Amino acid sequence: MPDCPRILSARWELPDAHTLAVYEAQGGYSALRKVLAEMKPEQVREEVKNSGLRGRGGAGFPTGVKWGFVPQNTGKKNYLLVNADESEPGTFKDRFIMDYDPHLMIEGAIISSYAIESNDCFIYIRGEYGWLVDRVQAAVDEAYAKGYLGKNILGSGFDCEMIVHKGAGAYICGEETGLINSLEGRKGQPRIKPPFPAVVGFLESPTIVNNVETVSAVPWIVENGAEAYRAIGTEKSPGTKLFSVSGPVKRPGVYEIPMGLPLKELIFGQEYCQGMLDGVELKACIPGGSSVPVLTAEETLACNIDYESFAEHGTMLGSGGCIVIGNDASMPELLKVLLQFYHHESCGQCTPCREGTGWLDMLLERLLAGEGRPKDLELLEHICSGMAGTTICVLADAAVMPTRSFLQKFRSEFEALLPEVEEIEDYVPTTSSAEMPK
Amino acid sequence: MAKITIDGTEHEFEEGMNLFEAVRQANGQPLPHFCYHPGLPIAGVCRMCQVEIEGVPKLVIACNAQVRDGMVVRTDTDKVKETVRTILNFHLLHHPVDCPVCDQAGECALQDFYMDYGLYEPEIDQEEKIAKGKVKPIGDLVMLDAERCVLCARCTRFTSEITKTHELGIFNRGNHAEIDVAPGMTLDNNYSLNTVDICPVGALTSRDFRFKKRVWWLKDTESICDGCATGCNSRLSHDDGVLYRARPRPNPEVNQYWMCDHGRLLYKRVGSQDRLRQPSLREADGPRPISWDGALAEFEELAADRQLVFVGSPHASLEELHALARLARACEGTVLGHRLAGTEMGEADDLLLSADRTPNEEGARRLGLEPFEPAALAAAAGPDRMLVVLMNDLAALSEEAAAALDGFGAVVGLLTHEGPTAARSTLVLPVWTTAEKEGLFVNRQGRAQVFHRAVDAPPHTRDAVEVLAEIGRRRGHEGLPSTVAALRAEIAGTVDGFGALADGVGPEGVPLDSGERTEVQS
Repeated sequence: MPDCPRILSARWELPDAHTLAVYEAQGGYSALRKVLAEMKPEQVREEVKNSGLRGRGGAGFPTGVKWGFVPQNTGKKNYLLVNADESEPGTFKDRFIMDYDPHLMIEGAIISSYAIESNDCFIYIRGEYGWLVDRVQAAVDEAYAKGYLGKNILGSGFDCEMIVHKGAGAYICGEETGLINSLEGRKGQPRIKPPFPAVVGFLESPTIVNNVETVSAVPWIVENGAEAYRAIGTEKSPGTKLFSVSGPVKRPGVYEIPMGLPLKELIFGQEYCQGMLDGVELKACIPGGSSVPVLTAEETLACNIDYESFAEHGTMLGSGGCIVIGNDASMPELLKVLLQFYHHESCGQCTPCREGTGWLDMLLERLLAGEGRPKDLELLEHICSGMAGTTICVLADAAVMPTRSFLQKFRSEFEALLPEVEEIEDYVPTTSSAEMPK
Repeated sequence: MAKITIDGTEHEFEEGMNLFEAVRQANGQPLPHFCYHPGLPIAGVCRMCQVEIEGVPKLVIACNAQVRDGMVVRTDTDKVKETVRTILNFHLLHHPVDCPVCDQAGECALQDFYMDYGLYEPEIDQEEKIAKGKVKPIGDLVMLDAERCVLCARCTRFTSEITKTHELGIFNRGNHAEIDVAPGMTLDNNYSLNTVDICPVGALTSRDFRFKKRVWWLKDTESICDGCATGCNSRLSHDDGVLYRARPRPNPEVNQYWMCDHGRLLYKRVGSQDRLRQPSLREADGPRPISWDGALAEFEELAADRQLVFVGSPHASLEELHALARLARACEGTVLGHRLAGTEMGEADDLLLSADRTPNEEGARRLGLEPFEPAALAAAAGPDRMLVVLMNDLAALSEEAAAALDGFGAVVGLLTHEGPTAARSTLVLPVWTTAEKEGLFVNRQGRAQVFHRAVDAPPHTRDAVEVLAEIGRRRGHEGLPSTVAALRAEIAGTVDGFGALADGVGPEGVPLDSGERTEVQS
């Protein structure tokens, strides 16, 4: 796709791209100048709405529409929280933006703040990204020094304060209301909705939580216009998307791809991952971060990278954390890794998730240890049915989707772990009445 | 109003009403639930109250939904039942199922819902359970068994939102999450036992009540707490004439769902060691038990050539105070008042506890009684005077008053407990406590509230209203009302400001007219 502009990754290969000097030399902050000089907040909102930009954190909700939910003139402050709590297994795209081009995110966040009429912006970075906190903070300091942040930005009268906040290291704080609670100093647990954060969010004020990649697309959109953005990708999935590819491919890494690209191209294309490692065959692929349903090799080769095509194949685009699985991997072992993660990261608030994630994990452990019981696969499915859609946030669903799809598409590997039926018929309780102490 | 269909039947509720409450009213029983409590903010974490709403793809928890016009709700579909069954299974996963040794058994939501949803073949293996803490005292009155906890967060919401004392929290996350007291704290606020009430399982139990009685033997009687002027609506649990506990009875106008620990533990006074159990003459060498007949004859003798001075009490019921006033009027005695000014006051809090630690101050004042100074008692004394004290331990409250008692020719105490006043009396007539009788108190809001007899009083004690009428009869005043019902009717019909009593007093009480009442300095 040589004609596709690099919207998010244009400067990654440049030396010192993380500095303001390089960013400015490459045309950085011109979008902010344009916005402050020529556009009203509602015009920015309209432009982003027309661009069809969808949230890049995983849910894919149209960003302009989300911004439109913020009630104006409530007498309260509006807040923009940039979600940099990137912690889903397989997803490592935001970290590239923050590491190699932090000013892109900062410029995007300032414009987004302007759009939702907020003067206060927080960048919430996951605790394990410690070095990125310093990287982003240094960039924010540079932006303050140059007058891109603070009072009366570029003489426009618009104020914007930006605070870099380091999380304590919890996946659940990437859920927007969990993030808000954490930022307020509370336990990082999602809030019950309604009310939604756009109306009652951080400090009970209207709040927009946007992913790093989402706000980073905004400068290009306001500079080049919604139409130019829509010209890339498909009708329902415009623009470009970062994909972080891991697994046994020749060239794993983060790639900016135009929406609509065949998934096959991402994995096998010369421009991208250049195919599987020698001697390994494609067995499966989790295309959008560990919480989306897995695709078989056949499905992987048939799928295009856009919201519609993924939906057709029963999976989701998610955060763009593409985990490629080779034929040397055991699906039950892989599922165990994922379930251990969700078990560890469940906040414990809602019963189905608190108990369900642990139960699934425990059953997988038992199966892998050769201690499975004949009805364990049915039990796994039954647990999933009690977890799916029954909780405050979607962490439970995130555990259910891989579990169900792994079980459905790779069932024989799980069945091989079950004990022989004969063993059960001959089963003798370890403590029989004859052995009971007199 | 909004029209809403619940399980095929149409109902009208207010638009925006909590759907959980609407279903409770429509179906006559609540949806299964652990975390929902009408007195606490919504948590929405137990996920038990799932319902289907037409047009909504996923199941919805009723506790966080509102009634909307045209809504069609189903609580009884297979999808709902299967989901609730599975979620209940999640709740039981790490629960020890130690019902035989658990004090909550019999009033445990987990047990009840288990029976309702027929989970007879659990899919859980005993060895898979995560063991959490057991039998940890977290305050003077509350015991924590974390392993029985379903993490509904009622207790933590109570301490953070109602008392705002923040002693309890949920520590750790995922299936290692656990309720505990915050480091360095104990659950020792005056409302700690409410956490025991609202705990749906056996995780928080009352250290006062646990293992005293299996709850299925208990009978409950509606009562009013007599610990302060707030008049919290209560329920006394008893069996075989013994009180075991007092718990709050919801009244949105008075105590919502709560009651303080101070008030709850007053039940212990009813059967205490110092309870007066039979009439006695107090002589130099100690009390001499006497029959009721002998006692009332003695009263006659003592009163024969003396003028009678009466003192009531803010602890006495409205009916008892009226009976006292009627007897005083018949005998041409004087009523000094009902209370030593400024006594029995404590610190108020901003939740329920009143500074005034008596239950019927407002009632007494509305009957025209007034507080008096110890000097007034001394001034009323004299060898030709006899003091009749109704349920007022005057001598315990003021040394001056105690000394004044000695100035009377005789003192007759209609009392419930041994104490300085009983010790200084000539004749002691044991009467009934709040738990043993019927009556009304008027709380600080001017709300008349009814309490009922929970247990029988000791055999040789008598109802004060009967005793007062009997004294009158013996002195030739026939026809003094001698029952609570008759006295209540007379108050309603003849005393200004009590007309509202005429229509009866329901379980939530009756607000009296603002009434003509004299402000008296206290």
